[in-house]
Parts: sequence; C-alpha cells; structure tokens
Amino acid sequence: MDRIDMDRLKSGEVNLGTSIMAVQFDHGVVIGADSRTTTGSYIANRVTDKLTHVHDRIYCCRSGSAADTQAIADIVHYSLQLYTQEFGAAPPVSSAAAIFQKLCYENKDALSAGIIVAGWDKEVGPSVYNIPVGGGSFRQPWAIGGSGSTYVYGYCDATYQEGWGRGEAVQFVKNTLALAMGRDGSSGGVIRMCVITEDGVERLFVPGDQLPKFWEGHEVLPAAVTGANVIDPVPMAVE
Amino acid sequence: MEYNGGSVIAMVGKDCVAIASDLRFGNQALGIASNFQRIFPVTDRTYVGLAGLGTDVTTLRERFRYRVNMYTIKEERDIEPQTFAHLVSSTLYEHRFGPYFVEPVIAGLENTSSGSKPFIAAADLIGCLNFAKDFVVAGTASSKLYGLAEGLWEPDLGPEDLFETISQTLLNGVDRDAFSGWGAVVHVITKDRVVTRTLKGRMD
Amino acid sequence: MECGVRCPRRRRVRPFCTQTAMYRGPGFDFSNSLRNDFLQHKGVALPKATSTGTTIVGCIFKDGIILGADTRATEGEIVADKNCEKIHYIAESIRCCGAGTAADTEFVTAAISSNIELHALSTGRKPRVVAAMTMLKQYLFQYQGHVGAALVLGGVDSTGAHLFTVHPHGSTDKLPYVTMGSGSLAAMAVFENGWKPNMEVGRQPLSPALPSWYSNDNVRPAVQREEALKLVCDAVAAGIFNDLGSGSNIDACVITATHTEMLRNFVKPNERVAKELKYGFRHGTTAIKSEHIRSLVVSEEITPIRGEAMDVS
Repeated sequence: MDRIDMDRLKSGEVNLGTSIMAVQFDHGVVIGADSRTTTGSYIANRVTDKLTHVHDRIYCCRSGSAADTQAIADIVHYSLQLYTQEFGAAPPVSSAAAIFQKLCYENKDALSAGIIVAGWDKEVGPSVYNIPVGGGSFRQPWAIGGSGSTYVYGYCDATYQEGWGRGEAVQFVKNTLALAMGRDGSSGGVIRMCVITEDGVERLFVPGDQLPKFWEGHEVLPAAVTGANVIDPVPMAVE
Repeated sequence: MEYNGGSVIAMVGKDCVAIASDLRFGNQALGIASNFQRIFPVTDRTYVGLAGLGTDVTTLRERFRYRVNMYTIKEERDIEPQTFAHLVSSTLYEHRFGPYFVEPVIAGLENTSSGSKPFIAAADLIGCLNFAKDFVVAGTASSKLYGLAEGLWEPDLGPEDLFETISQTLLNGVDRDAFSGWGAVVHVITKDRVVTRTLKGRMD
Repeated sequence: MECGVRCPRRRRVRPFCTQTAMYRGPGFDFSNSLRNDFLQHKGVALPKATSTGTTIVGCIFKDGIILGADTRATEGEIVADKNCEKIHYIAESIRCCGAGTAADTEFVTAAISSNIELHALSTGRKPRVVAAMTMLKQYLFQYQGHVGAALVLGGVDSTGAHLFTVHPHGSTDKLPYVTMGSGSLAAMAVFENGWKPNMEVGRQPLSPALPSWYSNDNVRPAVQREEALKLVCDAVAAGIFNDLGSGSNIDACVITATHTEMLRNFVKPNERVAKELKYGFRHGTTAIKSEHIRSLVVSEEITPIRGEAMDVS
C-alpha cells in the first residue's frame, strides 16, 4: 500500500463518490454535498445525507468510505458530547477538527476518509477545516472535497471572493456542486446544504430537477445531408 | 474437501432417519484406505457424519465427544439432536477465520412429548445450519447426491424402504465422483434400534 | 469479542493449553489459520461457505415496517437450502433480514439480539431500532468487512418506525424503502416504480392483472388486500424470478407498534409439482456385506425371589 487515495476502498465497500463543499462567509458557514452513495456502479442511496451533525453548531461533510466516515463522525460526536459535559460549554470548531484530524492521521493505514469540518463558535466565529485523506488539517476560507471536486477547482478559484454574505455563499456552493455533479459520475442526485450561524442551523434542499443550469451544449455536427447528393444504400451483391 | 475425499448423506423417513457415507480415504487421486469411518454416534439416537479433510474429521470428532460428554455431565441427560446441531454450529463458527475443512451432517431422533421425531441437519464449514425436512448431503459428491436425492426421496418411507433409497442414492452418487466410493456404510435409526449395514459397491 | 490473533493472550492465561481445553475464551479462534494458509498454498481448495444470494427488502408504510425476503441459500452454483429463513429476530418489534455469508448473518443477528435483550433488561425500556443499528454497525466495522453480513434492519419503537440498511463494512443508510442482496436491483426497480408515502395496509384489492402465481390458492385471502405488503411481495418476487441467486418462497414480516406478524412462506410461487410415479426400490436391491443391529430396548427380567408371604392380616 504505497499510495493513499480513494482507490484503497476494499472490494464491495460502500463509497461516497461525492462532491462536498464548505464556504465561510461573514456571519457563518455554508456547507453542501451531493446525495449519491455507490457500491461499484450501483447507486445504493440516491438521497444520502452527507452533512453530518457532530455538535449544535459543528457539522462535517463526509467523503470516501461510508463505513469509515460514519464511524469517525460517531466517535467525534461522542467526544464532543463528552467535551460539553466536561467544560459546560460548546466546543470550538478547531477542537472538533483536531479530533477528526487525530483519528484520520493515527489510523491513516486503515481509513479512506476525506472530511470537511465546518461550523460556528464564539471564539473565532465561522470557520472551515479541510481534513483530506492522510490526516492533515487545514483551515481554509472555502474547501471542496470528494471525487467531484477535481472538476471544479478552477471554477472556485475564479469565482470566490472575500467578504461575501450568506446569499452569495449559498449560490456559490449551489453552483459549484451542480457543476461537479454534472461532470462526476460518482456524484449526483440532489444538493443538500446547511447554513450554520450563531442563531442556528438552517437546512436547504435543491431537488435533482431544479439544479442550477449552465451551458449544456447543442448539436455541433452539421445537419443531416439530404437531396440529390445522397446515395441510397445498395444491397451487397450475393451470389 | 478434495484432499481426502468422501461424502455423507442423511434422509428422513417415517419415524426413522438414515445417515450414510462412503468409506474412502484418499490422498487426492490416490486411494489410501477403504475403511475410513466418518460417521460417529453422538448418543444412542443421534449420529454425526463429517465430510471433509481427514485430520479435521478426527479432530472434530474428539472435540464433539468432549463437548457432548461435558453437556451430559452438566445436564444429566442425553443431548438432543437439535441442541447438538447448535453445538456443532457454534464450534465451527468459533473458527470463522481459520475454519476446519469439514461439512457436518447430523441425523437423529428428537425426544418430544408425543414420542420421537426425525431430525436431520447439515452445516457448512463455518457452521451455517441447514435444517432440511427431507435430506441433506455433504462432501465431494454432494452435487451428484443433491440431484439423485431430489429424484429418489419421497416422504414417509419406512426403515427398510429408507435404507434402500439412501443406499441407492449414495452408491450411484459416489460412482460418479472420483473422490468418493470404496465401500459405504448406512445407519438406519429407529426408536428401538440402530441398524448398521456395510454395502457392496464398486471398488474403483 | 476480540479482533486479532488470540493465541498469545490465551497462552498467557493458560500456559498448558491443549486443543480441547475446558474453558475457552470468547471470540474467534485463529489457530487453524497458519495451517489453512499452508494448505491453500499447496493448492487445497477451500470449501465454499453457504451464502444467501438473496433478495431482501424493507419498506415503511403508514403504521410501521414490512420486511420481505426470499428463501434460497446457495453454495456456489448449488441451491443448498430451498426454504431457509432470512428474517431474523432481534426483538419483538425489531427484525432483521440478512444477506451475504449465511453463517455470519445468522450469528451476527443472534449476538445483537442477545445484547439488545440484555440492554432492554438493564434499561427497563423497550429496545430502539437505532440501538440495534448502532450495535450492528460497530460490530461489523470492527471486523472491517470480513464478517460478510449485509442487513436490512427494521422495526417500531417509542420514536416511531425506522428502516435501515447495514453494509458489511459497517456503513448504514436510513431510507423509506430499501433492498439488499444480489436481487436488490430487481427489487429496487419495483419499489422505485410503486412506492408512495403513507401507504396503508389498506383495503385496496389487488389489481386484476396479476401474475399467475398470485392465484387464490397461493395468497391467503385474509391479507390479500394489503397494498404495502403486496409491494414488498412484488419486490421480492422480482428478485426471485430475475436474479439467479434468489428463489423459492417469499417470507414477509409486518411490524406495527402493537403487533409483529411473521408471515413465513407467505407466498409460494415455486411449489414442486407432485411426482407422478415413485422410485421405491424393492427390498434387497442393495447388496449388503455386513449387518449390525444395536438394540436400544432395555429389557428387564424380574425374577421374584421367594420370601415370606406378605402379612395381610
């Protein structure tokens, strides 16, 4: 096992092919994900919720092995509950990200999990942490992940600007995911989003038939040739 | 399975059960012995047949004997065939990730309030039980035995009819299997007695 | 349960352990692994474990959950059991369909059923479906997919009706209608076509254009009306007829808040036709070399020994 990437899924393992994303804006974060779960070429779940609650104001977006990411999220959820009991206050997003990172790094040989942690805390306000396969942890203003993300890095680089409000951030996530889902066969279905602010968590849902539309192409070949130049097919000579 | 060869079959009759096996012990294609007993009594009315790797047949026979003896001492009664089947199953599943190469077949008469009831079961090598109402097969000739038994078995056979049916099923099945044969033994278990017969069969 | 090689630890506990030691610790025994790897290396083929090719399904309806399963167990290309039970008991209002390695589904559900019972006893509450789901996923995750159980878990508890799929690696999904096993594609096609929210175990008659095996003899008239149940049966039937790994009969289980009804062999679309002739053999067909009769009758002879006459005065 000299490589660490998504190809390390065991045979028959359930995969979150996935396009996931999180963006920080002035008062909160927007996180989003497609809804496709696959086993090989079969879509095991077309309405998956990959935006997983780990605390009141902290969510994670899961990509990679479904089993691994669920197990990790369950452990972090448990740890954060314990944290709250111990300190009597909500944990900061950085702490949640640190637990995710620790689990992903220390078990990197056994795991295939790319996770984005995002949320709001009273120390720093909104924040987004990217924890890619291998167990690094990077705070970023926006993060994309999963197999679909490779198609939309350029779009994100070209589009993102600092100082956005909620509306722009939501539109950015929606557009990015729609583009990623359009190009990536392992992503698709619907878009699920969460807007996490100090006031609460609002869930947004975009059905599969109402995704933002972009240029989808048209017939580029010339129209079929008709008229005198057309040679009718002649049956082959048979003895 | 093919290393030592061998096959076992059990059938239900009317107030009786029969269990039969071949007697070949081979080293792949080479026949070594024609007197390898792979069916063992568990209690008076319960027998177990072990198809598969010879060393595991012997090892498991001893392990089952030990566990059945412990059960008998603890419970102060004979083990019922169904209970024994679960004992076999859990013993095999304990070795889920390093199994014994054995497919057991269990046949016996259950004690019920209204007398005795025929019981047969088979397990795969990791202990998945198959409680059949008609017949069970195991071993290298199992694919042939399935077809034959499916055709020849019929409900409510008496002990003598059941003997003929199981014998013919086994003999004709193992004749088409290179790894089974070299003689056969049949046990017919009824309420009052167990009749054990060795059969005349092809020795090639 | 432990995962990993157990031998070193056992050796510490019992320094003189033998094969048939009196007390065996819990968990799996890996003592044959080395030998088996050697045999496999020598080219000895590993016998096939029974697997349940399987179509298993589950579906939420207005009052609860319906689970469905076919009854075929296979060993390679051989049908090992034509009428096995794939709907396992977890608790009174929680049941679980199993696909994959048959022994694994059997033992995993038995273990979790046992733990759920203990949990219910210690909490004094009726068990919840999520509790069973969490136990199953944590157990399966621990074994990293080596315990090959693919499950459909459904039930009703104090929080309502819940339906989950549990994959062998330990991932779970919560959906209103689910299918698993080799026939899952065929069954899912039926669900995608026919499922609607809040289905009733309604008074709706079956549509007139029914397949032949739905004739009156096969379906019990009392439950013929049930819409959700029919959808489940259709889904399993799609697996039975279109998937080679699935076959024989349809088992169903209707779970509501108040009652669980296990409908074993609810539909039997593949009953064997009676044999016209018999293959009975004349007594003496089989040549016998020797015969030994072990009599199980304990005969007792009472010999009265003459003594004094009983005093009857």
